[in-house]
Amino acid sequence: MKADFTIFFLVVFIASAIAGWDWPNIAKIMPVYVAAIPGALLVALQIYRDATGWEHRRGQVSGGIDMDEVSEINLDKKTELRRTVAYFAWFIAGALGIWLVGLVYALPALVFFYALVEGREKWFTALILAACTYALVWGLFEYTLETRWPPGVLFD
Amino acid sequence: MEISLFSAAAQGFLNLLHFKVFLAMLLGVSIGTFTAVAPQGLGMPLVYAIALPIVIKWEPINGIALLIGASSVSAICAAYLPILFGIPGGSGSQATVLDGYPMGKRGEGRRALGASFMAGGMGCLIGTITLAAAIPAARPIIYLMGSPELFVVMLWGLSMVAVLAGRRPVKGLIAAAFGLLLATVGQQAQSGVMRYVFDVPYLLDGISISIIALALFGVPSALDLALTKLGVEQQPIPLRGSLFEGVKDTLREWWLVVRCSFVGVWVGIVPGLGSQVVDWLAYGHAAQSCKGGRKSFGTGDVRGVIAPESANDAKDGGDLVTTLILGFPQGVVTALFIVALLAWGYLPGPEMVKKNPEMIYSIVWLQGISGIVGTLIGFALAAQLAKLAEVRYSFMVPIMFIFILMGAFSVNRDPADLLAVVAFGVLGYFMRRYGYPRPAMILGLVLGDLMEKYLYRSMASYGFTWLGRPAVLALLAMAGASLALTLRGRMKARREASPATFSGAMARSEDES
Repeated sequence: MKADFTIFFLVVFIASAIAGWDWPNIAKIMPVYVAAIPGALLVALQIYRDATGWEHRRGQVSGGIDMDEVSEINLDKKTELRRTVAYFAWFIAGALGIWLVGLVYALPALVFFYALVEGREKWFTALILAACTYALVWGLFEYTLETRWPPGVLFD
Repeated sequence: MEISLFSAAAQGFLNLLHFKVFLAMLLGVSIGTFTAVAPQGLGMPLVYAIALPIVIKWEPINGIALLIGASSVSAICAAYLPILFGIPGGSGSQATVLDGYPMGKRGEGRRALGASFMAGGMGCLIGTITLAAAIPAARPIIYLMGSPELFVVMLWGLSMVAVLAGRRPVKGLIAAAFGLLLATVGQQAQSGVMRYVFDVPYLLDGISISIIALALFGVPSALDLALTKLGVEQQPIPLRGSLFEGVKDTLREWWLVVRCSFVGVWVGIVPGLGSQVVDWLAYGHAAQSCKGGRKSFGTGDVRGVIAPESANDAKDGGDLVTTLILGFPQGVVTALFIVALLAWGYLPGPEMVKKNPEMIYSIVWLQGISGIVGTLIGFALAAQLAKLAEVRYSFMVPIMFIFILMGAFSVNRDPADLLAVVAFGVLGYFMRRYGYPRPAMILGLVLGDLMEKYLYRSMASYGFTWLGRPAVLALLAMAGASLALTLRGRMKARREASPATFSGAMARSEDES
């Protein structure tokens, strides 16, 4: 999977270089010469490092700091995978809900069902959370600040 | 018409004398306070990413007040988790755990918090004063800088990715290159060429940086909470002692505060260093320079709280020196701040110093005032704020869902925004999982657009002769030297031994506590 993700970058960089190859120079300096071609070369270097375990060996010896947070979740793989899939399912369901029924109804519904099913909160607590969400997205944004959220495709 | 810096400073202050500005700053301060003490997974990059789509539609000064208020206070209140729970706070407050937690266990939690608030407030003011002083000092140099020099400055900022990426320099550069590539999506202003649009109207103006940042940082952060299903695992230690004791300690150690604040400012200004090291540098300096520090540090010495907290808060002022005067970001937070300024029509860097000095001074004033307000909030609500750390994940995850989805959808109110936030959320998850630094990608994304603009102007005005301009050569030499020196320092540190690594220090602190 690690190598697959590195290859994802390789594919993107190569495809970008090919797609931009015929553009005039002024348009392709940054995307092709500065980003895509050096990016592809760096990915090749990273694949070599992954294949030879170079990074792992150096990492163990040198320690050092990380620019980004490092994921340190100590769960067994099965639980982690199940919870990750469930999380993205909720998130995608929220996005789909906004598309279908609109943000004003989808977000309170998402909050209610997440708190009830995934969070195992009491239904009354979940209802209060959903009501607060409705107050925020409709009461504050749509009513008070006059932000018009588009209706979902089902109500359009 | 050019205005004097004194008038700009006065005008900058007058800009703040509106109720809405004060309200926005208070909102920012509240958000920053909550972020500092809330359960794991929240941080300033996420707050900025969530706030960005909303505040860029506000009046600039109101949006700036919220953003500066949040980041300024977040650093001041960051000592809660280390002192009360014995777990490192956000980056910049990790060293505080070494002495803060033993003090808390000894019944001196309030004293440690008092020292951290006071040191943080003083550090913030020293950082702000340095920022204010840097503007007139840098102004003569800024007037000599044109597009070629600015292009090199941006290049300098980007070259620092290799350094900032720490253990994963190649992955950092790949992420930055990917960010640069994404920055070019859409119709190029200079040539009109449609780049990577593929006949999709949504891509004509490029993909919003707000959506990308929101997805990259928000989705994995909420996932962390959903995975662990926990807020903070430990129970807080009971708050005992006196806040005033800590204030007295800090005032007695004023010289340490000043020294460590300048360490913080220096870390903020110098490209390539970051909030990951500021507290450790200050802590190391204090342990070496304070009387008896080698023995007492790590066992609950209040100076071990004062040093990292003052440096951490002063660093924000140093960060803003580089961001506002040179126009390149030091990290994700300043990168997103630049995105917000660009959205409001300001071009951070020399152009902003020349054209909008009053807005820069408004930022300076806000930074100072927020620091004072944050310190007062810390003192007033010390006991109540600790309870915020116990918010359940079943409340936090849906709240984050709301802000991520609403924030993304509010950018264009286009269903494609939702698709983009899901896609970049998944990308952020994989990047974090496989060690591709997301800040590098954001830096590439923000700098890509600016670099291209300056490169185009340089080529159009000077052809290739701009490469021979003395200022360009001097800046290139400085960029090369700073990169070489930082890389050399890292290689030297690597050779010198692994026990002194930060992770090693953290492990030792956990053992001790």
